[in-house]
Amino acid sequence: MHAALFALSWCFSDAEPGPVAGSQSNGDRFKIEGRAIVPGVKTQDWISTARILVEGEEYVGFLKTDGSFAVNDVPSGSYVVEIVSPSFRFDPVRVDITSKGKMRARLVNYIKTSEVIRQPYPLQIRSSGPHTYFMKRETWGWTDFLMNPMVMMMVLPLLIIVLLPKVVNTNDPEMRKEMEQSMNMLNPNPELPDVSEFMTKLFSKGSSKSSGGNKGSRSVAPKRR
Amino acid sequence: MAWLVVRLAISVSLLNTASAVFEDQVGKFDWRQQFIGKVRFALFDTHSQASKKLLVATDKNVFASLNSRTGDLFWRHVDKTGPEGHIDALLMYGQDAVVVAGNGRLLRSWETTVGGLKWETVLDTGSFQAAALVGVEDLVKYVVVLKKSAISLHDLSSGSQIWEENLPDSDTVQYQTIYSGGNGLVFVFGVVPNSHIVIVEYKIEDGEIMNKKSVEAAWMSSLESSCTVISSGILLCVDQITQSLYTLLLQSAEQTEMRQIHLQTLDLEVASGFQPILTSTQPNPAQPPLSEFVLQLSPDHHILLQLKDDFIATLRDFYPSYLAAFATSGERTVAAVMSPKNDTACSINLFSADTGRRHLDTTVIYHMDPNGGKPNRLYVHAFLKKDDSVGYRVMVQTEDLTLTFLQQPGKVVWMREEALADVVTMEMVDLPFTGTQAELEGEFGKKAAIQDGLLPMVLKRLSSQFILLQAWLAHLWKLFYDARKPRSSVKNEVTIDTLSRDEFNLQKMMLMVTASGKLFGIDSKSGTILWKQYLENIQPNSVFKLIVQRTTAHFPHPPQCTLLIKSQDTGLGNLYVFNPIFGKKSQISVPALPRPVLQTLLLPVIDQDYAKVLLLIDDQYKVTAFPSTKNVLQQLQDTASSIFFYLVDSSQGKLSGFRLRKDLSTEVIWEVVIPTEVQKIVAVKGKRANEHVHSQGRVMGDRSVLYKYLNPNLLAVITESTDTHQERSFVGIFLIDGVTGRIVHEAVQRKARGPVHFVHSENWVVYVYWNSKFRRNEFSVLELFEGAELYNSTVFSSLDRPHPPQVLQQSYIFPASISTLEATLTEKGITSRHLIVGLPSGNILSLPKMFLDPRRPEVVSEHSREENLIPYAPEMPIREEWFINYNQTVSRVRGIHTAPSGLESTCLVVAYGLDIYQTRVFPSKQFDVLKDDYDYVLISSVLFGLFFATMISKRLAEVKLLNRAWR
Repeated sequence: MHAALFALSWCFSDAEPGPVAGSQSNGDRFKIEGRAIVPGVKTQDWISTARILVEGEEYVGFLKTDGSFAVNDVPSGSYVVEIVSPSFRFDPVRVDITSKGKMRARLVNYIKTSEVIRQPYPLQIRSSGPHTYFMKRETWGWTDFLMNPMVMMMVLPLLIIVLLPKVVNTNDPEMRKEMEQSMNMLNPNPELPDVSEFMTKLFSKGSSKSSGGNKGSRSVAPKRR
Repeated sequence: MAWLVVRLAISVSLLNTASAVFEDQVGKFDWRQQFIGKVRFALFDTHSQASKKLLVATDKNVFASLNSRTGDLFWRHVDKTGPEGHIDALLMYGQDAVVVAGNGRLLRSWETTVGGLKWETVLDTGSFQAAALVGVEDLVKYVVVLKKSAISLHDLSSGSQIWEENLPDSDTVQYQTIYSGGNGLVFVFGVVPNSHIVIVEYKIEDGEIMNKKSVEAAWMSSLESSCTVISSGILLCVDQITQSLYTLLLQSAEQTEMRQIHLQTLDLEVASGFQPILTSTQPNPAQPPLSEFVLQLSPDHHILLQLKDDFIATLRDFYPSYLAAFATSGERTVAAVMSPKNDTACSINLFSADTGRRHLDTTVIYHMDPNGGKPNRLYVHAFLKKDDSVGYRVMVQTEDLTLTFLQQPGKVVWMREEALADVVTMEMVDLPFTGTQAELEGEFGKKAAIQDGLLPMVLKRLSSQFILLQAWLAHLWKLFYDARKPRSSVKNEVTIDTLSRDEFNLQKMMLMVTASGKLFGIDSKSGTILWKQYLENIQPNSVFKLIVQRTTAHFPHPPQCTLLIKSQDTGLGNLYVFNPIFGKKSQISVPALPRPVLQTLLLPVIDQDYAKVLLLIDDQYKVTAFPSTKNVLQQLQDTASSIFFYLVDSSQGKLSGFRLRKDLSTEVIWEVVIPTEVQKIVAVKGKRANEHVHSQGRVMGDRSVLYKYLNPNLLAVITESTDTHQERSFVGIFLIDGVTGRIVHEAVQRKARGPVHFVHSENWVVYVYWNSKFRRNEFSVLELFEGAELYNSTVFSSLDRPHPPQVLQQSYIFPASISTLEATLTEKGITSRHLIVGLPSGNILSLPKMFLDPRRPEVVSEHSREENLIPYAPEMPIREEWFINYNQTVSRVRGIHTAPSGLESTCLVVAYGLDIYQTRVFPSKQFDVLKDDYDYVLISSVLFGLFFATMISKRLAEVKLLNRAWR
């Protein structure tokens, strides 16, 4: 049994080149048979738009009402058989026909062309689902917006600013003392004037009369009234 | 390393989105039209009264079911091209249609409601002669197929062969027709030309020969169309030379000679040189045909005759009449006859077959298209009305392959332009400006400034501005008006008068030239046919070349296109000049072309009317210029020294370059011979004249520039080996400078064969071939670079290029077959390029050129990453998102035409073959317009929100300040 199998696979070996299609016109012609299945869809809904193409449009076959098909008059050689349908996707299969008419089907592998992963023959081609021709539009949702890193960077500090004073009771005198202490710790030299404060004071005075910057106008406004 | 992967993933995903279709874009700017070709057989489904099916089989090997109410396709099956898919016969019984295809090789039965195959049988080889349905005892059970030397009978429900018999003496007798009248016998008629007729009777049950006789008929050469069977088994033949009808009783033993009836006795005469045609009707294959028949005596003379008791009686004479056809509904058989009414219209009338009496109120007026051809086929669908009278609809096919479906009283239900199933070449032409826009443009003409003074010009300016304002207001009003109506009812009817260029020049006029010689002008936005013109007397296999000589940019000169029609047999050509917007033939005098034209050349030289000059080179290398005014000839003399052209002679494997002399003669300056014993030239392509290249070079990873070799005169020549053995076959490519004849580069792909598809553009050539060793399609790309420095950066001259270009090449596996290949084209060439690939499955793939870049590295380096090069992978990916035509597949894509639009991001694509599909592609996405999904609502709501927030907060701040001031 094993020996027979080996012999069979040997005679299919890819070392022997398949004949060129044109020169084999008066040789024997064979028939590639199989069946196409689209799970969950009635055959009459899709077979009228589907075709069987062997090696491009070299040989053409049509589907029967039960989903089976046959492509006639194919000379021996190696062919890629595919079912083309505008709605469903089918994987192509390579079919090898020897000059004696022995058939075998295997997975199509364009890179390692001699690799043999057997497929059932007569072909059983099952659709892997409908085609996905379309890209998904980027839809706008609240979660997308909130999960945006920029928004996160803005919202989190805001939350800290708004919520932290509420959580930590500032009216508590002990707490206040503690915080002041810690602030002093941060500010090593309290006597030294803060540079930024100095700058703002300087600019707000300078610009208050001419136009009033953003900060300046606010600080100056009460004085005017 | 991780970030690298991420970056790669990002770049790949960016590619992913490029040029994909979103689901909401379906039908927004794309359309598809499906065609079938020239109808050879058409049958109406008379199975039930309500049936709308019309089954057709065409010369394009298409078998389809049409909806006879709308003309749309229910389904369509496209068989292999060529004789192997040729449909020989179409028969219909009940729900099943039997088709004989491939010269009698295949017998197929189709379930017509679903469009699926019921059964398929392979018949023995032998050239097909005839097929017929055979009925026994009022039931149609079998189909019989007659071949040159055999006859076979098949069961109609399973296709299984019941018997097959060899025909006696098939080497001398030409068997041509069959007949069965439902009495258990099949008659086969054969003829020995100018000698006798052979009639063989077969028994249906077992194929036994019941009887065989030969009858003297020295006048007969062929049975087809001159013989038919009428009544209960009477063979009727007509002969033009003896001007007689001949009858023969099939089932009588005593009659051994055909009975001759002179047409003279019936006061009839066959027009000289016309082969008379007999038409009879057999409404039910299980019953004998009627005894009435139609005899056509001349192209416009039909006569309805009846055979009764061996006498032939004239029921009605139709003169003049173009076409006649029988139709049956229930028990009533009628004859529909088309006769001319006046110069532009025909009338179709119904006559009852058994009496020849005209049915009242059955006239259908068929208006002939003045730009079309004559009607040549009539298909009639008769049905019984409620009051038991016979009603009918007709389908008229014309010479120019227009199918018109009419119903009483002459209403055109639908129309199909089947000439479009065979588009040979096409062009896209910009639409003209509207009158007002043109007016405005006209102001800037020099002539206007000289004629008018300053004040009139100011006034003119103001008035035209006012007109523009008016037009704009009208446009706004229309927008507003349309917006209130439901979307479906807003249908902009496109007519020639309302045509004008849109803002971005996205809408264009598609000029399509079909093999039948019919020209079409189609609006690219909607697919509406705006004009059509049938050119008569075009030889069947002519070659066409369409040239746009003047675009719409030169108002008030009308745009001008020239079509060169060249007969393949004689090589002689003639020119047809027309206006591409209105389809009208131009009055310009056209040069006569007494000698075969070898090459055409559209020069950038323009005459005083802004038409580009077309040079035609004949087989004596003489040059004819069109237009050939004095001005043009003067300009040609001045520029002659820089006009070069090339000729290809593939039979001798010779490419030769010529140069124009001042006296418009030519001289050979170079010749390249590619020996025909080894390889043959299959294709030569230059670059497209309207192509723009934006960037001169590519910025490399190390910030240096690699300059492209942009030679506008470069020709890509593809050769194939004459030896087709798969070990020794090869495909060669030569890049030849068309001016100097220098072979810039040469490459050979061993163990490869055609068909080769290729694109030559910018500084690259992409070609596809079949690798016969590994049995797969492979893409190969050649890119030419000058190097890090440009030799002469201001101008390119073929004569002064000392350094050969650097050539890079890479090949990839393409996991599908290819029907055709083209590259996208944009206005300025800034947008990245895509290759548009037509696949046999009907899909059109938009493949980024980025994948076909010979600089794709095998090992990723810092530089290659900087340049955004995709690492090399042997297999090219095909993603379903790249199919720009989603499920709108295009059968048998023959060509793809790309044209730039006014928007840099957008390229218009038209794929033609059996179908026509038009769409737009955005190779680098829509970077210059707002996207379709641009969220106007969000933006405006955010803006308004912010506006109100500032208002409110301002108010609040004021209140707060006031309070503080009071404190």
